[in-house]
Amino acid sequence: MRRFVLKRIGSIAITLWLLATIVFVFVNVLPGDIGRKVLGPTAQPADVAAFNARLGTDRPLIEQYVTSMRRVFTLDFGESFQTGGPVTDLVLPALGRSAKLAILAFVITIPISIAAGIYAARRQDRLADRVTVNIGLASTSVPEFVTASVLLAVFAVQLQLGKVYANVPEGTSFLGQLDYLLLPALAMVVSYFGYIARMTRAGVIGALHADYTRTATMKGMDPGQVMRRHVLRNALAPTITVISVQIGYLFGGIVGVEKVFNYPGLGTMMLNAVGKKDIPVLQASVLIVGIIYMLSTLLADLVIAYLNPRVRLEAGR
Amino acid sequence: MSDVTKSQGEDEVITLAVAAGVSERRQARKESWRQIRRRPSFIIGVVIVTIWVLCALFPDAIAPFDPLNYRAELNQPPSGDHFFGTDKGGRDVFSRVIAGARDVLKIAPLAALLGVFGGVILGMLMGYLRGRFDTIASRIVEAFISLPVVLLGLLAITTLGNSNWVVIGVVATLFTPIVARTVRSAVLAERDLDYVTSARLRGESGAFIMFREILPNVMGPIIVELTIRVGYAVFTVATLSFLGAGPPPPSPDWGAQVSDNYNSIVAGFWWSTFFPAAAIASLVVAVNLIADAVQSVLGDS
Amino acid sequence: MTADQTRTGAALEVEDLKVVYTVRGIDREVLRGVSFSVAPGEAYGLVGESGCGKSTCAFAAVRYLPRNGRIVGGHVRVGGRDVTSMSQKDLQDFRAREASMVYQDPAQALNPTLRIGAQVTESFLLLGQKKAQARASALEALRKVRIADPERVMDRYPFQLSGGMQQRVVIAMALACNPKLLVLDEPTTGLDATVEAEVLDLVRVLRQESDAAVVMIAHNLGIIRSLCDRVGVMYAGRIVEEGPSGEVFDSPRHPYTVGLLRSLPRHGAHKTESALATIPGILPQIGTPLPTCVYVDRCPLADDVCQTQVPPKVPIADRGGFALCHHSDRIPEVEAQLDAVQISVLSPSDDSPDVLELSAVSKTFHQRGHDIPALVGVDLTLAAGDTLGIVGESGSGKSTLAKTILGIEAVDDGGVVALDGSELAPATNDRSADSKRAMQMVFQNPDSALNRSWSVRRILVRSMQKLTGIGGEEANTKVEALAAHLRLTPRHLDLKPRQLSGGLKQRVAIARAFAGDPRIVVCDEPTSALDVSVQAAILNLLASLQSENKTSYVFITHDMGVVRYLADRIAVMYLGRIMEIGSTDQIFDDGPNHPYTEALLSAVPSVDGEVRTRIPLAGEVPSPANPPAGCVFHTRCHRLVAGLCDVTEPEPIELAPGHLSRCHLDAATLAQPVKPPASVSG
Repeated sequence: MRRFVLKRIGSIAITLWLLATIVFVFVNVLPGDIGRKVLGPTAQPADVAAFNARLGTDRPLIEQYVTSMRRVFTLDFGESFQTGGPVTDLVLPALGRSAKLAILAFVITIPISIAAGIYAARRQDRLADRVTVNIGLASTSVPEFVTASVLLAVFAVQLQLGKVYANVPEGTSFLGQLDYLLLPALAMVVSYFGYIARMTRAGVIGALHADYTRTATMKGMDPGQVMRRHVLRNALAPTITVISVQIGYLFGGIVGVEKVFNYPGLGTMMLNAVGKKDIPVLQASVLIVGIIYMLSTLLADLVIAYLNPRVRLEAGR
Repeated sequence: MSDVTKSQGEDEVITLAVAAGVSERRQARKESWRQIRRRPSFIIGVVIVTIWVLCALFPDAIAPFDPLNYRAELNQPPSGDHFFGTDKGGRDVFSRVIAGARDVLKIAPLAALLGVFGGVILGMLMGYLRGRFDTIASRIVEAFISLPVVLLGLLAITTLGNSNWVVIGVVATLFTPIVARTVRSAVLAERDLDYVTSARLRGESGAFIMFREILPNVMGPIIVELTIRVGYAVFTVATLSFLGAGPPPPSPDWGAQVSDNYNSIVAGFWWSTFFPAAAIASLVVAVNLIADAVQSVLGDS
Repeated sequence: MTADQTRTGAALEVEDLKVVYTVRGIDREVLRGVSFSVAPGEAYGLVGESGCGKSTCAFAAVRYLPRNGRIVGGHVRVGGRDVTSMSQKDLQDFRAREASMVYQDPAQALNPTLRIGAQVTESFLLLGQKKAQARASALEALRKVRIADPERVMDRYPFQLSGGMQQRVVIAMALACNPKLLVLDEPTTGLDATVEAEVLDLVRVLRQESDAAVVMIAHNLGIIRSLCDRVGVMYAGRIVEEGPSGEVFDSPRHPYTVGLLRSLPRHGAHKTESALATIPGILPQIGTPLPTCVYVDRCPLADDVCQTQVPPKVPIADRGGFALCHHSDRIPEVEAQLDAVQISVLSPSDDSPDVLELSAVSKTFHQRGHDIPALVGVDLTLAAGDTLGIVGESGSGKSTLAKTILGIEAVDDGGVVALDGSELAPATNDRSADSKRAMQMVFQNPDSALNRSWSVRRILVRSMQKLTGIGGEEANTKVEALAAHLRLTPRHLDLKPRQLSGGLKQRVAIARAFAGDPRIVVCDEPTSALDVSVQAAILNLLASLQSENKTSYVFITHDMGVVRYLADRIAVMYLGRIMEIGSTDQIFDDGPNHPYTEALLSAVPSVDGEVRTRIPLAGEVPSPANPPAGCVFHTRCHRLVAGLCDVTEPEPIELAPGHLSRCHLDAATLAQPVKPPASVSG
């Protein structure tokens, strides 16, 4: 097992390096003159040169690349163009606020969608199943910001439930915070419900048709016992994978949700950085999201290995 | 049903029986198409997409007002004159929603098509060549996949500047590794089949085997992937546009409309946000309903 | 009703059972009124070709049908209770206490995420036992199925056990409740011959300890004969003949049973003596309306009566049972007809020159830094027009040998594959066009071997062009001639493979292999995915193509009957080595054999009812990555000479001219019979 984890961490390091390279290409190679890009076409050439000199963007690409990679692996992302302060000072608090929102969203989503998936699978092809499947399809297809703006219009404005601005004032109690965070979290719940429910359903249906389920039924077990003891354990692996992928991908959707609710998380910070062309902040945020994705899929692999002895016992070899 | 098609005895009577088998099978294929066409979800999807395509093709015939330059009183609620009301600039929301179909319906399918094209070539090479090429390409694909498309797109479009072609190029590039992964696994399953061995035994080239022997057999998953990608492309383009990285202004793009107006929801002017948002939702859901129906027929049978 | 069915105290009574599958809204009849009964302690076999409904029958008996399956008529009674009308709760209880099942694929039948102990214990918990008691019972149950070290096995996961062990575990669970009804659905299909024999030995022993009524489904008639008291022969959803198994197989009374039995290579038949019988026509599609006799379209005796009247159950007085036939008294006519077509297709091969020569051929795979030798020092020759049969169990390297000959896998340095005396490049790609043309292959599974999006014509024309260089219309003409020769009509040429039956697909695959007039065709289990009546037609075809073209075959199979029929010489492989090689007569008749061959031959259940002394093999096949020292077979050998076999690897010695054995023991010693073992070991 330890070898398995070490191997996976090694492979994460390689993926992270490649990702950082891709990002480097996007932000340093493709745009050309960074100083000109940031300061705009009207800036004086001398100012542009000074800007590039300050940031090292006038150095040869190779040198910039090496510096950039060193920073990624030491988690030091340099200074923000806007504030001049370390990027990490900006990013980490914002990340913390986004994480709070994300955790709330997943705490709600996971039980609901797994339960819905199991429910649909047990009623395969009947009305309840069709309804669940199609609601799931529709809910995942709609972009998060669309759901968020509809929720905002309906609940916060028309029904006066929940807060329009999700920015939680300092010192708000736990329940008080919920009042602020519930609506934006709900927007994300709607988006992720469908994926997880549909994947759970598919996994459970697959396991219900498996030969070992037939064996269990033929032993004379009642359907509930068969589901708990034999089906779920095997069925949930794909669901776990999907959840881990969604945890990584949620940072794509959270940007829109944060914008709609004016929530000062990582997404809002990135949008500000986009407006100000603050490339170091953007680069750092994107890489951190990548790291979160990789860690959450690693965690999923560990859980799957725990559930499936074959993976566990063979992975270490 | 596999029992029916499995081994059977044979002799002179074969011809008759085969004829019967053929008609039955043709009927079966027709039957399954009829079944998907009968699905209410598929019909709804096609109807909605058709409506939006008509809006994109003939916006002037449908929209009562000029989406860009017409000005009326600001923030009027929906009425007989302005079905969807007017926005904070006094423009007719209905006309803007109609006009907004055009960019997304140009960009999304094209980006999806290019992404699938790239993904098929890359995935085919990875699955067929395997070995070192596959190992390295898989790593790069994995790195791409570890970031949400919207974020990488935002980053790339920020540095490249937004134009329709940049959006198409970026979305297609970001879809390529995703499609490649799907195609790769389909090809891996195929290349272990004996018809590939047989082709190698008679000395066929790699290109022939990949594109003449294997490709026709993985078209099913590729078509499914294409319909799914079109849905995601609409999703991605709308989101990027909402975040300010979509088609450049003054395009009346739906995402941009939501972005322009969502702040007025608080003042009670919900319609200028709601209708473009609903337009996005209807198109994405419609495309996904079609994709779902296609997948249920062509997917892993 | 016949005497058999009114027999009192039957444990299982199936009465006029009708089952349909609903496919695309249409009900298709799978069982068209099946009746049989099984007494306590009796074993009843159901045989028939694919699609005949035998498995449906088994699952209907315990009321476990697929979602689209439905019992639409008749009754199933177990111990007097009607299973077809039980409530869900009663059904659960019935399955827990009275009925059990053993399945075809044990690896799939066990839950991959639970330890064996948990799964076996569960069966006893369901009977109401307390935890500790259930665990003790589980250990006892594993011991009962001859698992030597049950504590250790309880702690394992299914994937850590071999196929044979997995099936023992499934059997242990099935016997937990001491069932009144035990259904075995192809319990040994997919297992190697020696493992199959052990599982069957076990079932035989356990039957004597229990009074369960056993229903056994198998497509292998030998298994049914060796294990079952009575047999029902199924065709198109009906039992067409029933009776004591030995008698049914020795003197069948239904034309279908006659055809089925005659299409098997039996009684040591060889291609040079007789062609195999085939049944005209094809199996009806599931659900085809067959209002009178189900076999009427293919029956040589069919007349107007058969077309218009449902045949009666004709009791067979001299042996019991019945035949569902208007003309069961005219069976000798069918036999005579079949005898009339028994013409020999081949003259025995003379001293032809060698076309293929392998010397010191080894193939080592590298996996995760380990060397896995799949072939070790194989030497052999193949003469023009000859068939070399290669037999061995899974992991013996027989498929690797085929791939290495063809260059799909490159031979290790030092090994030589020579065609007509000149050495070939290791990889196909580097071989000349002529040598590619000279060697082609027929694969096991035609579904995998034919490109499913190409038409038959395109498949054949492409091969013709690529192998012979003939192009355009000429290639097309030649393909049509070739196809006609293989009894494929022009109409077949424009179909896709999936529109053809399994047998026709295999004909197309054979036609493709012959498109370039090959010198050598490697056949890798070409009939193992086919039903026996189709297999017969394919074997006849291969034999006649060979005699016309002087083609040489390398014929890989696990079926001893098939290899005995078709091969001129036979090589027996174990762990990548040829253990014994000799003429077909030397291997099967003259002897003596290498100890492994001896065990392998003794494992095959005979449909002719020959009694052989079973030589059980101890332990399991060692991993090729880590072969035993000395003779690789010594860990399982019943003739082991300690201190010799486990130290020194034997060189092949000549038992007779052309008959080599890789064993330290000489011909005289090998000819001594072995003591029958005291008990079946685990």
